[in-house]
Order: sequence, then C-alpha cells, then structure tokens
Amino acid sequence: MSSLRPADLLRLLPLLGVFLTPVAARAESPEVDFYQKSVRPILEEHCFDCHGPEKQKNKLRFDTTLGILKGGESGEPLLLPGHSVDSYLLKRVTSTNPKDKMPPKGDRLHPAQVEILRRWIDAGAELPGAKEAAGELRIKTDHWSFQPVRRPNPPARDGRFGNNAIDGFVLSKLREQGLVPSPKADPRTLVRRLYLVMHGMPPTPAEVEGFVSDTGADAWERLVDRVLASPRYGERWARHWMDVVRYADTDGFERNVERKSAYPYRDYLIESFNADKPYNLFVKEQLAGDMLGVDRATGFLVAGPYDSVKSSDTNLTLMQRQEELADMVNTTGTAFLGLTMGCARCHNHKFDPILQKDYYAMQAVFAGVQMGERPLREMRDPAQAGVLEALKLSESRQKAELEALKKKAALVPDALPEQIVGGRPPVSAMRNEDGFEPVETMAVRFTILGNSGAEVCLDELEVFDTEGKNVALALHGGKASASGTLPGYAIHQLEHLNDGKFGNAHSWISNTKGSSWVQIDFPAKVRVGKVVWGRDREGRLTDRLAMHYKIEAASEPGQWKQVSSSEGRRAGTAAQGANSFLAKLSPGDAAVAKKLQEELLSLRGRIAAGEHSAWVGKFMAEPVRTHRLYRGEPLQKREVVAPDALSVLGTLALDVDATDAQRRMAFAEWVVSEANPLTARVLVNRLWHYVFGNGLVDTPSDLGLNGSRPTHPELLDWLADEFVRGGWSIKQMQRQLLLSATFQQGSAPRPEAEKRDADGRLLWRYTPRRLEAEAIRDSMLAVSGALDLKMGGAGFYLMDVVRENVRHYFPKETYTPEEYRRMVYLFRVRAAQDGVFGAFDCPDGGSVMAKRSRSNTPLQALNLFNSTFVGGQGELLQKRLQDESGSQSAEQVQLAFRLFYARPPDAYELERSQAFIGEHGLLSFVRALYNTSEFLFIF
Amino acid sequence: MHPFLNRRGFLGHTATGLGGIALAHLLGQDRASGASPIRPNIQPSNPNAPRAPHFQARAKRVLMIFCSGAVSQIDTFDYKPELIKRHGQPMPGAEGLVTFQGQQGNLTKSPWEFRPRGQSGKMISDLVPHLGALADEMCFIHSLTGKTNTHGPGENFMGTGFTLDGFPSMGAWATYALGSENDELPAYVAVPDPRGAPQSAGNFWGPGFLPAAFQGTDFNATQPLRNLSRPSAFSPATDRATREFLASLNRHHLERFPGDSELAARISSYELAARMQLSVPEVADLSSEPAHILKMYGADAAGNPVQDLKAAYARNCILARRLVEKGVRFVQVFNGAYQTGGEGVSNWDGHKALEPQYVKHGEVMDQPTAALLADLKQRGLLADTLVVWCTEFGRMPTFQKGASGRDHNPSGFTAWLAGAGVKKGFSYGATDEFGYKAVENVATVYDFHATILDVLGLNHEQLSFYHNGIERRLTDVHGKVIREMLV
Repeated sequence: MSSLRPADLLRLLPLLGVFLTPVAARAESPEVDFYQKSVRPILEEHCFDCHGPEKQKNKLRFDTTLGILKGGESGEPLLLPGHSVDSYLLKRVTSTNPKDKMPPKGDRLHPAQVEILRRWIDAGAELPGAKEAAGELRIKTDHWSFQPVRRPNPPARDGRFGNNAIDGFVLSKLREQGLVPSPKADPRTLVRRLYLVMHGMPPTPAEVEGFVSDTGADAWERLVDRVLASPRYGERWARHWMDVVRYADTDGFERNVERKSAYPYRDYLIESFNADKPYNLFVKEQLAGDMLGVDRATGFLVAGPYDSVKSSDTNLTLMQRQEELADMVNTTGTAFLGLTMGCARCHNHKFDPILQKDYYAMQAVFAGVQMGERPLREMRDPAQAGVLEALKLSESRQKAELEALKKKAALVPDALPEQIVGGRPPVSAMRNEDGFEPVETMAVRFTILGNSGAEVCLDELEVFDTEGKNVALALHGGKASASGTLPGYAIHQLEHLNDGKFGNAHSWISNTKGSSWVQIDFPAKVRVGKVVWGRDREGRLTDRLAMHYKIEAASEPGQWKQVSSSEGRRAGTAAQGANSFLAKLSPGDAAVAKKLQEELLSLRGRIAAGEHSAWVGKFMAEPVRTHRLYRGEPLQKREVVAPDALSVLGTLALDVDATDAQRRMAFAEWVVSEANPLTARVLVNRLWHYVFGNGLVDTPSDLGLNGSRPTHPELLDWLADEFVRGGWSIKQMQRQLLLSATFQQGSAPRPEAEKRDADGRLLWRYTPRRLEAEAIRDSMLAVSGALDLKMGGAGFYLMDVVRENVRHYFPKETYTPEEYRRMVYLFRVRAAQDGVFGAFDCPDGGSVMAKRSRSNTPLQALNLFNSTFVGGQGELLQKRLQDESGSQSAEQVQLAFRLFYARPPDAYELERSQAFIGEHGLLSFVRALYNTSEFLFIF
Repeated sequence: MHPFLNRRGFLGHTATGLGGIALAHLLGQDRASGASPIRPNIQPSNPNAPRAPHFQARAKRVLMIFCSGAVSQIDTFDYKPELIKRHGQPMPGAEGLVTFQGQQGNLTKSPWEFRPRGQSGKMISDLVPHLGALADEMCFIHSLTGKTNTHGPGENFMGTGFTLDGFPSMGAWATYALGSENDELPAYVAVPDPRGAPQSAGNFWGPGFLPAAFQGTDFNATQPLRNLSRPSAFSPATDRATREFLASLNRHHLERFPGDSELAARISSYELAARMQLSVPEVADLSSEPAHILKMYGADAAGNPVQDLKAAYARNCILARRLVEKGVRFVQVFNGAYQTGGEGVSNWDGHKALEPQYVKHGEVMDQPTAALLADLKQRGLLADTLVVWCTEFGRMPTFQKGASGRDHNPSGFTAWLAGAGVKKGFSYGATDEFGYKAVENVATVYDFHATILDVLGLNHEQLSFYHNGIERRLTDVHGKVIREMLV
C-alpha cells in the first residue's frame, strides 16, 4: 500500500462497491481471454470448494464476476488492478501464516499459478462482464426500514373507539387477532398516567381535582396542552434523550475525572424539548451546532466515556483514538439511524446493508472531533470581548516567564541524596511537627500560603501545651474557625479539624485553592509549644497538602506573632511532583515562579469563565485522513476513505480532504434528508416507546435486520410521515399519541386477551410498568413537598468525591436540600451508582441505553425501606401531612392518598391506615406508602 | 428481549414468549452456521431462581480472587532461569521498545528466590510461599494475553470481556444464566479490598446492560451492605408491622390486577429483603469462627499497618468462604484498590519501587488467599467450586529506565484456576525465555473467560443478551475453551 499515491487509491475506490466505473472489459479482449483460459481454472481448482457455486464461506464466491468484485465479508477488495503486490487475493494465497494462508488446508498454489495471478492483476485484472456486474454491485436491500416511508390510509375508525387515525390502525390489528380494546380508564387514573408519562412526577391534588371536575368536552385536550407546555416536560424528555446519547458528567475509565462543564449540553436539551425545537434542526445542531450558532449542542459528540490515561506506547494511543471515534459513530448510528454501525468496524455488517467502508466513511465525518472543552460563543457577553483579549495576552506573557524560570531550573543538576543534609524534614502528608519556644496564647492560627494543588486539606490540627495535652481538641474546649470550608461534603467539615479523629474521612478542606487559614481559640489562656498536623494521618492520600505555611499565636486578641513556618523544611520529593523545580531556584526566583503560578491559575479561571468553555468537543479544521482498517486494527491501514453517508442511502460526494465543517454539516443534512427514511421512523418509535412503555419496534436502537419487526408497520409509517409533515414537531406528535383512545384505555388485565398477547404489544390495554429511577426519586420529593424546581446549571452530587490522580466516589448517606432537585440535574458519575436509586436499572452512561431494563430486586426493597434518603423524605412528608391536614389521622390519610395515588382511599384502606397510624404512628405510615406498588408504577 | 420485564410469567410454560421465539427464528435464518442463543428461562417473580446450565457443569459456583494493579508474573509464578542468567543485560530485540510509561532498562531478575513446590515441583517465588505450598492444587496458565496496557481498560477487559465501560461483568453473566441456589443471599457478591474499590470500580461487578437483578452486591467484612439495617427511628415491632401493613396495601391493590406477575414479584422481593436482613449479617459475622481458623487466614495479624491490612483482607477471605458455603453463585474477592497514595502503594502497580512495595503486597495477599484455598479444600467445597486467581495484565522482565520497578505488559501473563473441573498441579502455555511474551499455547482473556463459563456448564457462544442490535456475549465474537486445562 505504501507504494500507492492517494490518486491511485481514489481510482481504486470503485472496487469498494459504491460508484463503480469498471475497468473496460470488452468481451473478447485478450486480457479477458487470459482470465478465462489461465486464471479461472486456478481459482476453480483451489477456491471453488469453499467459495464457489455450492458454498460461499464468508459470503465470498469466485465463480462469478460479481462475486469477485464484491469480495467477502472482510470488506477487503480482492484485487487492486495493477498492484498485485497489495492485492488481498495474492496476500492470502502466498501467506505462510497458518491463520491467513489460503487454501487453509490441502495443496498450496504452485508458484507458476501464483505467477499467473500476479500477471493478470498487474495487467489490470480484467473480468468478463465486469461492466454489467458493476450495475449489480451497488449495495441494495429490501429490508423494510431502508425503504421510503409511504403514508398509508388509516383504516376506518369505530365510533366507540377512535379519537384519531392512530386508533384506526390499532383497532384493525386487534380485530385481526379477534381482540377488542379495553374500556376507557377513569379520569383519576388518566390524569396520573399523563403526568407520570410526560413529566415523570405525579399530578398535585389540585391538578387532579381540576381535571376531574372539568366537564368540558375538550377537558382532556386542554389538560394535554397544559402538560406539554410545562417546563417539567422538557426535564423529563431530556432525561430520556440523555439515555440515548450516553450522557454522564465524568470521563469514565480508570481516572473517571469530573466533567464539570458538561451540563450546558443538558441545559440545551431541556430547553430544546420545552421549546419544541423541530427534530430535524435538533439533530443538525447536535452534529454541527457550531455552525448553527449553538455551540452547546455539540456536547452530543463528546458525551461518551473518555480514556484520559495517555501512554508513550503509540499503539495504545492509536487504539484509544479509534475507540473515541467508534463511540461517536456507534452513538450516531443508534441514536439517529437506529443502526448498529459498530458491527461494520472489522468487516462488512453481517445482517444490514452496511459495508466496512461505510463505517470508516462515517468515522471520517467525525475525524476532526476531539474530546475536550470549547468556548460557548452564544453565551459570551460581547461587551467583555476586550477584557478577555487582555486576559489572554497576560496569560501568554506570564506563561513565557514561567517557562524561562523552569528552563533555568532544568540547568541545575539534581541534588544527590547525600547532599540533602540539615534542615527540617520535608512536609509530610501524614504527620508534621512544628515545635517552638512555648508561648502564652488565646489562639493559634495556621495559615496556608501554598499547597500541592486543589483546595488544601487538614485532617487534624493538634496544639500541645507544655504538659503534652492537646488543648485544641473540641473535647477540651478548643473552638475551630476557618477562612472557608468546601461546601457539600460531610466528611470535610470544619468540626473535623479538632475532633481527634484522623484520616480523610474526618478532615477539613478549604473552599479555595489559594491562601486560606484555620484557627483554634482556647477557652482560656494556655501555654503551648508544639503544633502537630497532617493531611491524612492514615497515609492513604497525599494530595491537597499544605507546602508553605506559617503558624501564629496571639497572646491578646489580634496580637498575632509567628511561632513557626515551613521555612527551613527541605523540599519534598514525590509529593511535590510538578513543583519540584522550585527547589532548584534561588529563593528570589522561586518566589517569582510561585507568584506566576498563582496568577496563571487565577487568569485561566477568569478566561475560562469569560469564554464559557464547556465539554462540547474541539474541532480540527482539517482532519487527518481516515483509512479503512483491516479487521479494525489501527496498524492495518488500508485505502483512504472519504467522509460519507451510508452508501445504501446515497452519498455526500465529499472529497477525502473536505474540512471538518463540511463533513459534519453535509452529514447532518443527510441524516434529516428525504433520502433517509430511518431518522423519522426511529424517532417516532422512540416517542411511542416512552409513551406506551414499548416501541412499535421493540428494539428502538436497531431497526436493522437483527432488530424486531414493527408490530404495526403501517402505523409506524403513518406516524413517520405525519411527523415530517408536521414540521418534525415532537410535541405535536406526542399530542396525537396522548389524544388517542389507545392511550386512554384502562390498564386492567383481561385473561382472554392475555392468552393471545401477554405483553400487550397489540395494545388491547394500557400496560402498567414500573417507573424509572429518576421518576421514583422525583415523585418522592414531589409528594414530600421538598422538591426544588430550580432549573438548569451545574448538577448536584449524590456522591462524595475524593480527588486524587484518579477519582473515588462514595454514595452519600446524608442529604441536604441541595440534593432535592430533579434527578435529571444529578451529576452523573460513570461506573458508580447512587446508593438508593442505582439499583433501579439506572444507566451510568457507559453506552447508549435506548431501553432500560425494569428489574425487581431485594436491594431495591432494602433501599426504599431503610435508606436515610427515604427516611428523611418520610419526615418531611409527615410534617407536610400534619401541616396541611391537621392532627386527625383520617384527614392525613385522605391527603396522603391524593398525593401518592391521585385518588382518595377506599373504605378498607382508610380503616386499615387509621388503625396502623394509631398503633405505629404517621411516620411509619408514610414509610409504607413510599414502598407501595401503586406509587412506583404507572397504571 | 428482557424476558422478565414482560408480562408473560403468569403463563408459566410460555416464559420464553413470542418475541423471543420470533427473534431467535429471525436470527436463525442468518446464522445457520453459528450457535443460536440459549435464553435463560427467567421467572419475573424470582429472577434468581436456580436454572439449569447448557450442559453438565463441572462446578456450581465460582470464587474469583482478583489482584488489582497488575501482579508481576516475573516475581511470582513464571520462573525464568534465562532471566536470572542474563540479569543486568539489555533484553534482546527490545532496543527502542516503548511500553506504557516509556523506555526499558535492562533485564532484571526477581528479588525473590524461586523454589520447587509440592509434588509437582512447580517453581514459585518466595514472595508467595503459602500459595506455593498449594502448587499441587493449581492449574496455571502462563500464556494469557490482553488487549490494553492501561489499568482501567485492562480491568474492564478481565472483568467484563470488553476494554470499554458499559458491559456486564462475568458474575452478572453467570447469575443471568444460572440464578442462585440460595434464596436468602444475593446470587452474586463482590468483596472489595479493605482499601477500597478496584480501578475499574463498579464495572467489575456491574450489570452493564443486563437487568439490575444480576448485578453483584458489594460488601466486605468491614463495610456492611448498605441499607440493610432497620433505621433506628423504628422499633423492631413497628418495622415488622410496617412490612405487614405495606404487604396488605400491595395485596389490596393487586386485587385490581389479578395475576400480574410484576406486581406479585414486588411483594415477594420485600419478603426476600426481610430474609436478607437476617442472613447477610449472619454470614458476615465472623465471631463464630474459631481461633485456629482466624490464625490460619492471618486474621489475627496486628502490630503495624501492613499486618492490620493483612488481617482485614484475611477477614474478607473468611467472608468469601462463608459465602461459598452458603451456595452463593459467584463470589469475587479483591486484593488491591484504586491507585491511592501513589503508584504501587495500594495495589500491585510496581513501576518504580517494586521490591519494597511487593514485600507488603505479598505479605497481605499470600497467606489469607492460600488459607482460603486450603479451607475450601478441607471442607470439601473445591469439589463443586471453581477458584480463579487473576490480574489485569502482567509486567515487564526489565526494569523501567531509571527506575526500580516494572512497566505494564499485556503480552504474556499468568493466572491460575483451582478446584472443580480443572487439572491439578498443571501448567498451560508459556512465555518466552524472559517471561515477556506468550509464545507457547498463546491464549486470550476471551479464551480464559470461555473456559470458566465452560466449567459452569455454559457455552460462551450461546450465552448472549440482545442489546442495541447485537447479541452480546462475555467473549464478544472470540474465545475458545482451553480444554487442556480441564479434567
């Protein structure tokens, strides 16, 4: 391959099967004659047994011209006319590797036979009937989902069951099976169903009563419109979309670092759903939003996991890049097209009309996309442009100065161990002693002037009096204060500074990366002579270490006097890491360097804030060329592939060197073009899946041959057509689904119907289902009254984070109102699950999750029955019931049932509940309610 | 596709359902040559009910000991006289070789002596003498090869068969196929190291895209299972009464949905949860273990941080044995945690200072792990339990340039099996003369996984789950059972 120029490769592209311009093949050309007389007999002798008229191993056959031109499943072209040395056929028949050689068993080709093949290929590899075969070569399919959408006429509706066209399709299918639909559900069931499906939260009692007492003929229609107009709608449906695009807020893999700027993409999703952004535009923005004035939207491209551990090993680096691109290709394939592109990475797709070349053509579309942050131009304040420029200028100037100092340090030889003598030991992450001449004091202050990175951490600050007693202990009356404490971490509170407990789990962390202080005030004057402190006395963590500090004592309020400091300590080794160069500089230079570092940190923070940089990907204007990779191996590069659409559905006609912008824009246009019947079908099926609990195609991310067939193909096509005609409006489509009599059916089981269709795929009832993790949590907060409806912005944490080179995440067990937002705003951590709701099939963004499992496990029961989260909500709910319905248990039960189930209790429930409250109290009553099936299911 | 999400359970005998049959048929058309999936018959009311394997199983359950950070084969089980002989010389053919962290220094023999062990005379180093004493029980594989030399992806690969995030763990596959033989404990338990979770965190016992019913439940002898105990606000009597009240509300509601298996399953899951509240603390309570057992495992070790750690790990090993005794289908014990406090400090990632770090890791891992194996044997549990000892990849026979430790090496590394179904005192495959690359009977992690499933009576090509358009397997589209290791 190395001997080929790109122009040659382009000339060879035809053999890959798309726009073939065959080598001229006249019927009686001497070359064709040579093939017939000399080449074909060799193939017949050695190859036909496995790749001939009888058998076609790996879908390869040598007995027809078409078969030879097509090649086998590997996606490798057999022949590169004029280049026998690079032709796959020659490679395989001459290989000595037992895994590759052909034929695999029996006699090898005679050298003279190999020579004949060689001559034939070098002379142009002409084949009889090549021109005719070329017409056949274009990949074709008769699989349903690739055919154009044809709008069928809706079947006649029945007067008793039929609000709109959807019902006609459903009814006719039911009748074919001898089934009838279920009667309409009662209004309370309906209003609760509507809110849970569309908002992921139950309706308030007022909303329920408003609908139940509305006698207008269009009451349901108006309710549907109200529900679609609520901001809660966008939060619910954005969460569904986040499953489809494998969204999470950490990188995943080994380091699993937080992506604190991923959320603008989530905000974009919520806003887009609420604004009913036309789906075709929604798709285009996510693929090419940078060209459409919506930088936030391209978060789609880079929402997947990212392996940030880079190695000096180039093979590994190449493979990592391949995996990144595979994630983009696969997600684009499943999310928008409902196709499993990943299957064509190593060979032609075994089921669907996707060539291996198509996979790499789509990979080429994303070849310019890099994981990382980019400024959000739409968020920028134009008035600040000048300020931003000035900041950037200072940044580059200061960076240069710092680099110069680092170079200076690099010239100083490393100190040999024996030269390090004298002085005090370097700062240790575990334990440090600062002894000094005893002083009388009211208070001791420890000021951190510089640290090893991030906000500084102290696990304990001990101050010993001359008798060796730790007078700082809270137990002994020591009172701690600080310049600030990192919010949100129970394990890093100020009280841990002098609680006598060691280790990270009982430590204080500052709220700032810069200078900070902690102070211990004593109840009375004490005589102290030693301070002992550390970052993690258990020796697990070494980050966040105070490197430069001073210790002061105050004999009278405000009369601070320094008693000790980091002066005179030797420079550390490992713990200092990147800052070890400082030790080699003169004190003056070191001070300048440190100042520069601090300023740079602050400058970068201000620049990032001014630019509104977010995790939405970076783009290289001119991407590197993409090669097809033999068997998907990064080192087995084959021909250059131009960015393109699926060849079965057309071409983008782009050059191999098209710019990144051209690639993504042209591809985005194609995804939503008329040439592509998949996009609309996939989306309406997803909408159906989320509204009814199961798609018309119950493999929502695979409409290919391996996926299921639609239960109602005509309905699916009618919906797809209606969707496009309706300007790709998602809300209009959902409105039709919700107004249908099909949606409004009762959910009670009917044995005669279950015998024919146990899963309810034919829609003879509205099939009940368990709520998703997010809807359960949101519903709990809604009924307790604790729910914080703040929209947008950075997410809240259900994990305590310990930050080292890798991140450690520990599920929280105590909660504050900060965590009472809707779960769509959860800071979602890959490869870790919330301690309560993770057990409810909550995806972690590792891969696309188009359809969640709904399992049922004892862990779920334990989490809902015993967790501190549900316990805390129970207390809030108890208070709400008491506040809103008084002290009578009958009223409390009435309100609780209306909140939980949108209905009053029946006589049995009321009596049983009152008796239970009487005996065991209201708190136990609400604990039970949070665990009831009726609360956790949509009926 | 998710059999037990569908409401077919009440029909019992049709549990595979129409959808499943139709799909299998559809697939069958294009996969005449390939093995068609065997779908476990999962009852919605009890997803972890025991299920038959595909064929006669050699082992009923698996105990996996996973050492995080990449244990050096060179310093433990892969004896290379040539390496000792050429100590201090450059490795031939390694000029310019760049591994994970960079360039290589010279060949470096292990600081530990190797000695023949047991009847088989297997050469094992002094770093792991207790394990060495059990060499006759073990079935080594020295020719494993991986696909990555980064810890996270490497642990994903060993744990889930994929280097990427998002795939089901081996234990999830096993319980998905086989369910459990104990209805009072989780079917699949992961016992994390006392120091914390491994590099790949929850992926190692996660369900991936399999239903959550098949995820591993993680707890160890120090950290009890979350949300297991009754909140202190409620008395035992109130707790019980609340459960009964809840059940009465659920049953009353169920009357409106007669025969609904999913709703009925929720009621029974609360009953199982109540049983677990008794059985899990019981199994995790080691106070009934006699002193000689504690001593045998090293659970009585104390006196300095390494000994404390050894004792904590030993208690995890005792917990693992108790879980195996109770018939838990898949138990994973972890030795080593995330890279905490620097490379090689809390796991086997000995890049820069291998000897001082491994002295500690060997001390912590060796005796308790060996005691676990010996204890299973003396209780007759090895007859139907497969023990798997493994790590994410191996290390280089060279020291890193300018350092005293070994870089990552996925080209040839060692694991061992013991117990049901596998040969005793046997070694399969080999690396080259220095222990760098697998050269004889080269095997992949896929092969290793296929072999473990085979011992459980499962055909790795037929144990699959449909996800995003693909019949996914533990072994992707690879894997070959290593028959030579099996009896």
